[in-house]
Amino acid sequence: MAGMKTASGDYIDSSWELRVFVGEEDPEAESVTLRVTGESHVGGVLLKIVEKINRKQDWSDHAIWWEQKRQWLLQTHWTLDKYGILADARLFFGPQHRPVILRLPNRRALRLRASFSQPLFQAVAAICRLLSEAVTHPKTLSLLRPYKVVLAGGVAPALFRGMPAHFSDSAQTEACYHMLSRPQPPPDPLLLQRLPRPSSLSDKTQLHSRWLDSSRCLMQQGVKAGDVLWLRFKYYSFFDLDPKTDPVRLTQLYEQARWDLLLEEIDCTEEEMMVFAALQYHISKLSQSGEVGEPAGTDPGLDDLDAALSNLEVKLEGSAPTDVLDSLTTIPELKDHLRIFRPRKLTLKGYRQHWVVFKETTLSYYKNQDEAPGDPIQQLNLKGCEVVPDVNVSGQKFCIKLLVPSPEGMSEIYLRCQDEQQYAHWMAGCRLASKGRTMADSSYTSEVQAILAFLSLQRTGGGGPGNHPQGPDASTEGLNPYGLVAPRFQRKFKAKQLTPRILEAHQNVAQLSLAEAQLRFIQAWQSLPDFGISYVMVRFKGSRKDEILGIANNRLIRIDLAVGDVVKTWRFSNMRQWNVNWDIRQVAIEFDEHINVAFSCVSASCRIVHEYIGGYIFLSTRERARGEELDEDLFLQLTGGHEAF
Amino acid sequence: MGESSEDIDQMFSTLLGEMDLLTQSLGVDTLPPPEPKPPRAEFNYSVGFKDLNESLNALEDQDLDALMADLVADISEAEQRTIQAQKESSQNQHHSASLQASNFSSAAPLGYGTNAAAIGISQYKEDLPPPPADPVLDLPLPPPPPDPLSQEEKEAQAKADKIKLALEKLKEAKVKKLVIKVHMNDNSTKSLMVDERQLARDVLDNLFEKTHCDCNVNWCLYEIYPELQIERFFEDHENVVEVLSDWTRDTENKVLFLEKEEKYAVFKNPQNFYLDNRGKKESKETSEKMNAKNKESLLEESFCGTSVIVPELEGALYLKEDGKKSWKRRYFLLRASGIYYVPKGKTKTSRDLACFIQFENVNIYYGTQHKMKYKAPTDYCFVLKHPQIQKESQYIKYLCCDDARTLNQWVTGIRIAKYGKTLYDNYQRAMAKAGLASRWTNVGTVSAAAPAQPAQSTGPKTGTSQPNGQMPQAAHSVSAVLQEAQTRAETWKDKKPALGNHHQPGTPRAPQAPKSSLPPPPPVRRSSDSSGSPATTPKAKGTAGGGFLSPPIDFLPPPPPPPPMDDPELPPPPPDFMEPPPDFVPPPPPSCAGTAGSELPPPPPPPPVLDPDSARPPPAVAKRPPMPPKRHENPAPPGGAGGGEQDFMSDLMKALQKKRGNVS
Repeated sequence: MAGMKTASGDYIDSSWELRVFVGEEDPEAESVTLRVTGESHVGGVLLKIVEKINRKQDWSDHAIWWEQKRQWLLQTHWTLDKYGILADARLFFGPQHRPVILRLPNRRALRLRASFSQPLFQAVAAICRLLSEAVTHPKTLSLLRPYKVVLAGGVAPALFRGMPAHFSDSAQTEACYHMLSRPQPPPDPLLLQRLPRPSSLSDKTQLHSRWLDSSRCLMQQGVKAGDVLWLRFKYYSFFDLDPKTDPVRLTQLYEQARWDLLLEEIDCTEEEMMVFAALQYHISKLSQSGEVGEPAGTDPGLDDLDAALSNLEVKLEGSAPTDVLDSLTTIPELKDHLRIFRPRKLTLKGYRQHWVVFKETTLSYYKNQDEAPGDPIQQLNLKGCEVVPDVNVSGQKFCIKLLVPSPEGMSEIYLRCQDEQQYAHWMAGCRLASKGRTMADSSYTSEVQAILAFLSLQRTGGGGPGNHPQGPDASTEGLNPYGLVAPRFQRKFKAKQLTPRILEAHQNVAQLSLAEAQLRFIQAWQSLPDFGISYVMVRFKGSRKDEILGIANNRLIRIDLAVGDVVKTWRFSNMRQWNVNWDIRQVAIEFDEHINVAFSCVSASCRIVHEYIGGYIFLSTRERARGEELDEDLFLQLTGGHEAF
Repeated sequence: MGESSEDIDQMFSTLLGEMDLLTQSLGVDTLPPPEPKPPRAEFNYSVGFKDLNESLNALEDQDLDALMADLVADISEAEQRTIQAQKESSQNQHHSASLQASNFSSAAPLGYGTNAAAIGISQYKEDLPPPPADPVLDLPLPPPPPDPLSQEEKEAQAKADKIKLALEKLKEAKVKKLVIKVHMNDNSTKSLMVDERQLARDVLDNLFEKTHCDCNVNWCLYEIYPELQIERFFEDHENVVEVLSDWTRDTENKVLFLEKEEKYAVFKNPQNFYLDNRGKKESKETSEKMNAKNKESLLEESFCGTSVIVPELEGALYLKEDGKKSWKRRYFLLRASGIYYVPKGKTKTSRDLACFIQFENVNIYYGTQHKMKYKAPTDYCFVLKHPQIQKESQYIKYLCCDDARTLNQWVTGIRIAKYGKTLYDNYQRAMAKAGLASRWTNVGTVSAAAPAQPAQSTGPKTGTSQPNGQMPQAAHSVSAVLQEAQTRAETWKDKKPALGNHHQPGTPRAPQAPKSSLPPPPPVRRSSDSSGSPATTPKAKGTAGGGFLSPPIDFLPPPPPPPPMDDPELPPPPPDFMEPPPDFVPPPPPSCAGTAGSELPPPPPPPPVLDPDSARPPPAVAKRPPMPPKRHENPAPPGGAGGGEQDFMSDLMKALQKKRGNVS
C-alpha cells in the first residue's frame, strides 16, 4: 500500500524509502531499498525484503537489526512507527544465529551457532541443551568475554555444527561428546606458566568484570560472529550433582575447578594441592585408559572384592593370632633381612641389619635368623600406623617409614629395602596392615603392582617441565607433576620432590572411580575457604578508598583491598532488598535491622554485581523446589534492570 | 538389674541376628537365691571366656547379678525368637525342645564375690562361649512336623541339632564383646555388654532404656582419661568396642553416661559457629536472635550441599611445645583439610600457611585442668592425639584457647571437619530418637505398652502359671496402667486367637517384655520378690530342677495387675503368652492341647481357655521356675508406677523397632 504516486511521480501517501542492508553488519553489504510507511508492519517489511532480494534461500532465521538502537526488530506485528523507525535508521537484515567460538571450562574450543537475538540467558540455556541434554542447570553457567590474549595452547578445537542434538549420530559428534564428558589430560606445564594468573585480589576482580549481561542478547553486547566466548560456571551453587546422569556437567565443573586451582584463581595450601594433584593424576589416568564406566578402578574386580572383604573384615580384624579362622587359612608372611633404623635421642646408630618377619599385621625383628623362633627384639602391630614412603629411585634408596601408634605414643621405625621388588612387597604389606588387613587380602598383589608402577613412574617422571612426550596409554605416560600443580609449587619444589608427595596422596584415592574422583575433587574445591567468591572492586559510600566486595552464594563480603582481610560479612538471608541506581552506578542494599550498605562499582559495571546478587537469590528460591523447570521470568526479573544506555 | 537386663535384651536381639555367641553360665547360681536357672541345654551358656570371667570378677556383685539377669533374659528372648521363627516354619517343636533341652547347668557360680577394683572394661573375645541365643535366629527352622505331645522329644532333638549347627556358625563368626562399666552421673555404675558391631548410638539407646532418662540429644557416652586429664564424647557413629580396645589393660579410663550440651550445640545454634565474626559483639548479638527458619536454612546450606562447609575459624591459640611446659602463641586457621598456622613473618593467605595437623588419624579431646597440670595459660584446652596413644607423648598436641566460647568453636569446627555430614546424620537420628521418646510419653502410651510387655515377657513358656509371677509385678507397676494393659491384652486375645498372636504380641511385645521387666528397680525386688512371691518362686525352683529355659523373663515383664486381678486376670497373662500363641497360631487348637505341656504359649489367644487347659499349667509351672530367678535378679519394678511407665515407653519403642525388624 505504500508507494502510491501521482502521475508526476510524486508520492502522495506518506510513504518513505527505507534502506535495509542484507547480511551481517558489514558496511559493504548489499542493500535493498523499500518504500514503506510508518504503518507498515515489520512482518510485511521482511516479506518485501525477501522479495527484493529475489534469491532462493531459507530466510527463516533472518531478522532485522537496528544498529543505532542496538535492537532486534523481532515483533513482526509491530509497526515501524511503534518501533520509532525513520528513514535514517540503519537496518541490517541478517541471521539471528551466528557462529561463535566457545571456549569451554575444559579450555577446549567449540564452534557453534548461537542465538544473537535472544537474551543471553536463553541463548546459554540453548547452548547447554545442545552440549548435553544432561546439563540441566544452565543457570549457573554464563558467558564471559575472553581475555584479549586468545589462548594459543595446543588444543585442537573440535568442530561441530549445532544441528545434531544427540551426539551419537556420527563419529565426529561422538568425539565431541567425549571431549565434553571426559576430563582432559593435564596441561603442558610450560603453558601453565605462560597463562596469566592473578597475583592479587584486584587481579581477580578483572575476571569478573567480563561477564556478559544475561538479559540482553549477544548482538546488543557487541559480540560479532566468529568471536571467542568463554563458557563458565558463574554461580557457585551446584545442586543435584549426579555423576550418572550428568557426566558433561560434572566433567566441565571439574575442569573449571581444576583450572581455577592451576591458575591460582583460588588459593590452597600445599597439602591440599597435593590431594588435588593426586586426584588429577588419577582422573587423567582413568579417562585416558578409557575406563569411564562405573567401577572404573584400575582393577574392575577390586571393588567387589573390597566389598566382600570389608564384610569379612569384621570377623577377621582385630582378632589375635588365636583366631580360629586365621588358623584355617594360611596367611602369607614376609621374612627377610632388612636394615632397620630406629631414631632415638642420643643415638648415633644408623641402619642395622636384622632378620625381620612380617606376619599378619605384625612386624617382628630379630638379631639374626637363628634367633627367629625366640623372642623378637621388638614386635610392632602395624594396625592404624602411618606408612610413609621414603624413596629415591635414582639413588637406589627404598625406605619405609613407619609411625606406629602405641599407648606410649608413636614409635618411629625405618625399614630399608634392597631393591624395588623387596620394597614393593613390604610396602604393600605395611599399607594393608595399617588398614588392618593382612597379606592374605586379595588386594595385596594389585597393591604390589601399583607400587612397582609408581616406582617406574618416578624413574621416568620428574624430568624437566614440559618435555614429556604424551603417550597414548596412561601406563607408559610418566607422571609429570608440574602439570598437576599451580605454578607457584613448580617454583617451590623440584619435580622429584613433588612426585613422591603426589603419589603418597594418591594412595588414598587410588580406588575411586572416575566420577567419584571428579566429585571428590569438586568437593575438596568447595571446601576451600575462598571457594565460590566472585570479587568486584567497589567503593563503599563514605569510604575514600577502593575495597573488594566478594560475592558468594550466601553472602556478601567486604574485604580490605590491601591486606585481604575480611572486614564484614552480610548474608543474603538477612537481606531485605537491593536497589541499583544506574545513573550514579551505585548499589544500595538494605539488610534486616536497618542496616544499609551502599557502594559504587569500580572494576565492573554495577549490572554485574546486580546480576550476581539476583542470580544467587534466584538460586536460593529454586533450592527449595528442586526439580522445577527453570523459571526464566523470575530470573530475568531478579537480574534484569533498566540500565541507561 | 531390670534395666541392665533390658539392655542386654536389646543387645541380644541384635546379636542374635548376627549370630553372636552368648556365653555364659554366669553364675546364675551365684545369685543369692539359688535360683533354678532356666535351663536350656542348648542355650546353656558355657562360660568359656577367660577374660569374661575376669571381667566378671571385677564387677561388683550387684553388677554381676544384673548382668546375669540380662544374660538370662537374653537367652530367653533368644529362645522366644527362635521359637517364633520355628513356629513359622513348624510350630511347637521348639518349645518342647527347648524345655527339655534345658539342662541349664549353670556354670559354676562365678566368683562374683570378688569385687576387684572396678575395671571399666573387661574384654573378652567371643571365643568363649557358646552362642546360645543367636543361633535361634539363624536357624529358623527345620523342625519337623509338629507332633506336639508325643514328639516333643524328637523335636527337642531337632532343636538341639539346630542349635549345634548354629553354634558352629557362631564359632565362625566371632564377635568380640566387652562388658563395660558405665558411670552414671549419680555416681552409680551400670554394666552392660557391648558387641563389636555396636555403635555409640546403640549403646546410648540401651542406656536410655535402662535409665528412663529423657532421651534428649545431649546424652552421650563420654570417655575420660584420668592420667592425661583429657575427655571427649563418643560420636554416635563410632564403634564403641573399637574405641575401647585402644585402652590399655590397666587403664584408669572410664566411660560415662551424661549430658553434654556441646555435643550437638552446632545444630541447635549454628549461628554461633557459622556466623560468629571473631570478636565482634554486634554479630554475636544478632546471631543469637536468629529464628528457627534461618537456622534451618543455615544448617541446610552448611551440611546438605555437595560438601559440608567447615566453619571459618581462625585466631591465636596457645600451643604447648613438645616436651616442655611452655606455651607458645600462634595464629591458627581451621580448614576442611586440617589445622594450619601462620609461620613467623608470613601472612595468613593460603599459600603461606603451614600445616599443623590433619584429622585423619587423630581424635579431639577436651583437656581438663591443664592449667594446673601443664601450666596452660587458661583451662580452655583441647588436645589432639591418635586414639591409640594412652600415655604422655610428644605426639599429643595440646592447644589452649582464651575462653570457653572459642574452645567450643574449635572443638566443634574440628569435629565438623573430621566427620562431615555424618555429624548431622547423627544429630538427626538423635533427634528422631528423642522425638519419639517424648511423643510416646505424651501419648500416654503406657497402657498400650504395658500390655505388650507382659505378653512378651511371659513368653511362650510361662503360660498360665505366670499370673502368679505377674501379680507381684502388677503391684509394682501402676495398677491403672496395668489394668488398661490387661484389658487391652484381653481384647487382643480375643482378636488374636484366630490370628495367631504373632502380630501383636510377637513384634511389639516380645522386645518390650524383657525391657519392661528390666526397668523396674529389679535389684530391690530381688530379695523381696523372691521371698515375696512365694508361689512363683517355688514353681520356679521346681522347674529349675527340670531345667527350664529362661521363662523368667516372661514373669517379670508381665506387670500383672494386682493380685485380685489374678483370677480374673489370667487373661493378662495371655498377653504374655502372646508370643507363644504365634507358634500355635497355625494350629491353634491342636497345639494347645498337644503341646500344652511344653507349648503353653499357644493358648494365649484364648485366655479363658488357658485356665481350663490343664496341660498348660504344668508347662507353665515348669517354665515358671526359671522366671523366679530372674525376678530375683531383676527384681521387677517395685512399685514405681512412674518407673514402670517409662519402661513401657521405652519398651514400646523397642517393640516397634523390633517389630519392624521382624516384619521385614
